[in-house]
Parts: sequence; C-alpha cells; structure tokens
Amino acid sequence: MSVAAAGFPATEESRRTSFVGMVMALASWTMLFVALFFSYAVLRLNAATWPPDGLAPLPKALPLLNTLVLLLSSCVLHRGTRPDAEEKPGALRRALLFTMLLGGLFLALQLAVWIPLWQHGFRIDNTGTYGSIFYGLTVFHALHVLAGLLALAVLLPGASAGRYASGRSSAVRSSAMFWHFVDVVWVVMFVAVYLV
Amino acid sequence: MGNAAMTVPATVRHLHVGPDFHAEQHIHPEPTSFLAKYIFSFDHKVIAKQFLWYGLFFLAMGGVMAMMIRWQIAYPGTAFPVLGQLMWPQSGGVMPPQSYAAFFTMHGTLMIFFAITPILIGAFGNLLIPLMIGARDMAFPTLNLLSFWTNVLAGLCMVVSFFVPMGAAAGGWQSYPTLSTLVGSPGHGQTLWVLGVFLTGSASIMGAVNYITTVVRLRAPGMGYFQMPLSVWGIWLTAILNALFVPVLAAGVLLLFLDRVFGSHFFLAGAAITKGGGDPVLYQHLFWIFGHPEVYILILPAWGIVSDLLSFFSRKPAFGYKATALSMSVICLLSMVVYGHHMFVVGMSPLLSQGFMTLTMLISIPSAVFFLNWLGTMWRGSIRFATPMLFSVGVVFVFGLGGLTGLHLGAISSDIYLHDSYFVIGHFHLTMAASVLLGAFAAIYFWFPKMFGKMMNETLGKWHFWLTIVPITVVFCGMLVVGYAGMQRRLYNYQAYDFLKHLHPINVWVTRAALLLGASQFLFVANFLSSMISGKKATENPWEVGTLEWTIPSPPPHHNYDEIPVVLHGPHEFNNPAVTGKDWLAQDEPIGDEPR
Repeated sequence: MSVAAAGFPATEESRRTSFVGMVMALASWTMLFVALFFSYAVLRLNAATWPPDGLAPLPKALPLLNTLVLLLSSCVLHRGTRPDAEEKPGALRRALLFTMLLGGLFLALQLAVWIPLWQHGFRIDNTGTYGSIFYGLTVFHALHVLAGLLALAVLLPGASAGRYASGRSSAVRSSAMFWHFVDVVWVVMFVAVYLV
Repeated sequence: MGNAAMTVPATVRHLHVGPDFHAEQHIHPEPTSFLAKYIFSFDHKVIAKQFLWYGLFFLAMGGVMAMMIRWQIAYPGTAFPVLGQLMWPQSGGVMPPQSYAAFFTMHGTLMIFFAITPILIGAFGNLLIPLMIGARDMAFPTLNLLSFWTNVLAGLCMVVSFFVPMGAAAGGWQSYPTLSTLVGSPGHGQTLWVLGVFLTGSASIMGAVNYITTVVRLRAPGMGYFQMPLSVWGIWLTAILNALFVPVLAAGVLLLFLDRVFGSHFFLAGAAITKGGGDPVLYQHLFWIFGHPEVYILILPAWGIVSDLLSFFSRKPAFGYKATALSMSVICLLSMVVYGHHMFVVGMSPLLSQGFMTLTMLISIPSAVFFLNWLGTMWRGSIRFATPMLFSVGVVFVFGLGGLTGLHLGAISSDIYLHDSYFVIGHFHLTMAASVLLGAFAAIYFWFPKMFGKMMNETLGKWHFWLTIVPITVVFCGMLVVGYAGMQRRLYNYQAYDFLKHLHPINVWVTRAALLLGASQFLFVANFLSSMISGKKATENPWEVGTLEWTIPSPPPHHNYDEIPVVLHGPHEFNNPAVTGKDWLAQDEPIGDEPR
C-alpha cells in the first residue's frame, strides 16, 4: 500500500517487535490455562475421591499416543523453521504440511477418545466435576489446536511460493511459537487430567 | 531546582540512531475514504477518539442507572421522573425489584468494563502511548482496530441483554454462582453478560499486548524507562496487569458459560445436582484473582496522569519521580497477592486470611510514597489552577479518602462487620469511581486541545469541577456513614428493616447529591460539544509543558512525527536554570549548544 512500506523487507527491528508481542500474548494465554488448571486443582482437592462417585477412570492409551503425536509435530515444525532450514528449498512447506497432518491426526484421535465415552453415557452434564473438567479442558485445548492449524494453513501459500525463504519471517515464527505453546499445554493437561 | 539538569542522561549525548529505527516505523499515507478514516481506522489517534465516544456513551448509560438506583433508595414506591413511565408503565413508573437488581448489576458492569476501561485505557492509552514516547503509531495497528471492534461486540451483548425475556443479568457485577448459574438466573441475560465479559476481556488483552510491546519497543531514541512521562508508566503497568489477570477472569466466565450452556458442574453444588458437586467459591477465587488487580488496572492510568498534571501545573519537576514510578510498580506486584481480602467472610483458613491481610496492609507503604510525592510536587510550586489541575487535585482528595477507608476493609476484624455494607460501596466508589472519573475529566480537559485542536471553555470547566467534586464527596461519604451504621448493599427497600429507618435523611441527601452530580455533567457535555465545534483554536503547546506530544501540531498529523524525536530530558523539566525566557523545556529540546 504505502510507498515506504513496499521498499523495506521486514527489518530486524520489526521482527523483534513481533517477538515481544508474541511473548506477551503467550504469557496472557498461559495465565488462562493456569487459571483453568487452578480450578481443576481446587475441585479435585475438594473431592473426597477422584474420580468421584464411583465413576470409571479415563482411558490412558489413546491419550498417550496422542501426546506422542503432538510432540512429534512440534519436532517436525521446529526442524522446518530452524534458521538452517532456509537453505533447503521446500523444507518449510514440507514441515508445515507434515505438522498439519499430525495436528489433524491429534484431533481425530481426540474424537476417538470423546465419542465412545459420550456414547457410553459419560457426558459433560451427568458426571459431576470429573466430566466437566475432562470435557471442558480437553475440548478447549482442541479448539486451540484447531486455531493453530489455521495459523499454519495461512502460511502454506507463502511457503509454497518461497516467500519465507529467508527464514526470518515473523509470521512463521509467531505461528510456530503458538503451536509449541499449545503442545506444551497438552503435555501438562495429559499428565494432570489422565495420569495423576 | 539546580539538580533538574542532572536528569539529562549522559548516555543520550552519544546516542547513535541507526537507520533501522526509522525504517521500522514507516510513514503511511493518510486514508481518504470515510470508512477507512473514521470507522475501521488503524490510526491510534482515531481509535482513541472511538474509545472515548464509546466510553462516554456507556458512562451516560451507567450514570442514568445510578440515578434510578438512588431514586429507589430515597423515594421507594415513587415513579422516576419521565424515564420511569417509559420503562415500567405497568407499575406506573416505579422500578420493580427485578429491574433494581438488574440495574445495580449492569451499572457496575457497564461502568467498569465499558466506561472506565474504554475512556482511560482505550482512549488515553491509545492517544498517549505513541505520542508521549515519540512513536508514529502502536506496534500492532491491526490488533488495535480489532481490539476496539471486539469491544463493540461485547458492548452489544450487554445492551441487547436488557431486551431479552427476563431481562439483563441481575446477580451483582461479580456474577457469583449460584446467583449466576441456571438455577439463580435462568434467562439469556446472564449468558449474554458472560459472553460480553469474555469478549471485552479479549479486547482488553489485545490492547494490553499492544501497549506493552509499543512501550518496550517503540520508545524514541534516548527515552529510557525513567524518561517516560508518568502517564505512560501508569498505562503501561495497567497493560501488564491486564495481560496477566484478565485471562483469569476469562477462565472464570468460560467455566460459567460451560455450566450455563452445556450443563457442566464447575460451580453447581448441593441440591441442584446429583453427582460430584462443584464449588461456587471457586468462582470467587477466580473472580478476585482478577478482581483485585482490576482495581489497580482502573486506577493506575489515573494515578499516572495525575502525577504528570500535578507537576505540569505546579511548574515543578514531579517530586520523587523515580519513587513514584517504582511505588506504582511495587503496588502492581503486591496487587497480585492480596485478592483474598475480598473473601474474608467466605470461610478461608484463618492463616490464609491473615496472610492476605498482612499483604494488603503492605500496599499502604508504596501508596503513601506516591501520595506524599504528589503533595511534595505541589509544595511551594507556582500552581496554575486551570481546570485539569482542579480535577487532578480533586483526585488527590477523593483518593486520599478512598485509600484511608480501604484500611478498614483490609483488616479482618473490621471487614467482617463492614463486609457487604454501604461502607464497601462508598470505599470503592471513592477509589474506583470518583478518583478515576475525576482523573478521566482531568485528562479530557488537558488533552482535548491535542485531540481536537480546540481549547475547552475554562469557565464552564471550573463550574463543572465544583459541581462535581462537592456532590461526589457527599454521595460517597454519605455511603460510608450509612454503611458504618449497618446498612447492607443491594437492598431494594431498606426501610423494611426497622434498625435502618433512622438513616433515611442521610440517604435522601445522598440521592439529592447524586442527582445534582448527574445534572452537572450536562455542563461537561455542553462544554465538550461546543468546544469541539467552536472552541478557541489550540496552539501547539497551550499548557507550556515539555512532553513530546506538545512539540507537534494540535491535532498531530497522521503519522505524528515527521522525524522521530531524540529525547534529551525527563518529562518534567521545569525551571532549568540553563534555560532562559521560559520555565519549561521540551524533552527533545537541546539546551544552548548541547550536542544532539
């Protein structure tokens, strides 16, 4: 649009500005999840038994597999967005596609966890705080995965056209930071909701 | 005054301004279409005005609701003039109990999230940060635009909620369960409230991320954190608290939303459910973890603005500038760990309560530091009593009252008696409403010339001040008195209680003062509108002060600064002995042959 803007590639200065902004945004997001985990802790500490009222414990196998899927996706994305990846043409595009594939797999496996439970009568509205925590936290997290997928998808056309070839794009870095963040939240959630 | 010159940082003289710095802040051409210029604008100055109009609209709405609440208290069973007949024709203009509950709920919600927040944080945060730190715009203009329009969406939720069956939310502005669950509030009004708060919270976070980043990254060369005007300090600290604690409220209302819409059991307990009950008190924890920082979120911008204005109009450097900035920062830190003092009567462990009490009392120390600094700033100054200064002194006065009454509520033994009484209402209105409102008026009178290029009328401004400060003091001090006498908050008809009947004369006087307070705001509206149209044209620097926004034309050009200024001095460089012919010095103005 502007004459001046067209003349300059993203400078190191504005890259740093984006970084500060993204760190603050993720700090804010962290507090959101901290508050949710805090709520979980309060409810659980108040309960006489956990799971309460003779409810069956949640399955662990599929969620564990899912944790590995999401961790793998973060590794793939990290390899594709590292500064040395810029030398290889198409590395970013491949990493984005593979990450999105794994992200999609994660969501599919989440559905595979939710649907049988729901069908067997373990619903959000009839299982007290146990089901509330389980569905509330995992579905809210899944929405973040979905948002992360969208953020990565937006990068695809540019990555295919080689627009981020310098490896210094704020858009790529910010989206990757968000993806890793959602990944870390999941690891905490897996441990808190399924394991302990 | 001799040491004023020492505030010039030595490093600035050798400062190298790289080409990158200017490259980052491009000069964009001014948009020409109406939509791009006034509606979906990326310009922080336009967004500031949008927030100002938006906030003033809700201030009026919340104000009218307050008048109606006061009317019901003083004259129960009588019709509110004119509006009453329109709103409740079925009861002959008398406000029914359900509407009373909805009105005190929505009065609080609208004033806090849709009047104070947009005016002080939205409008003045947007206006002042880039102008005062020497930037061309916010770090993320698109996020800025998004923040405003998300807020509008939130405001719509709130306005619409008045018109759904069973009316707006009526469980108090905190919306505690069980009052706010489907059991206590089955209507859609409460659900819309939850949505609206979530949306306005998101908008606040967007703004906060933007403000923090702008201050961290876009300060003009030479402007260290301790060369920033205290207004920027206040707004910046507010933004940090916003970014960290609004998400906690978001989590609370999110869980409330799930309870209301999807039938989860986070806050449901007792007979309402059959299996694995939740905890209504959990919501109170989440609410106040946010809620206590929130009171500082609201007051910090006003503190910062007042700290600057007191210096500007006393023609003296701010007394203890660094101590003021640091004490505000310490208060921010302390505000994160005192929320339990809102819950002394909930039944927390006594050990926890005492911890919260001790931490709360600690806040008095930094508060006293900056309060005494305010007095020190004015002490033996050549004070100019222009309207912004009057309002600033007003803030000092009402905040003093509000701060001192806070001690009674921070101490467990007196709080248990005073909790949920009008004493609490009087206290938090003195701090959050009176101080913040007077601070907002000070800011509007002071920066109106920079925003609109016109001066406001001083005579009307002074009348407005006196007709505001007197009734506002009577209203909220009256509330302290009836609260101390044992009158609970939120009573539809307190005269149903024999032991409160003798308080009637005080309550009537509070209501009369409130009505006068409401009426005198028309002076402000008249002044604001007429000055905008036909006010005296403002010069570049009508108040003769040195912060950067007064070195550029009023109103500033689209990109603010043709050339990014190089800052050489602190923000309050008054009576520098090396300067002759005037008593102020612009922050980027070299003295004599000082190298730039």
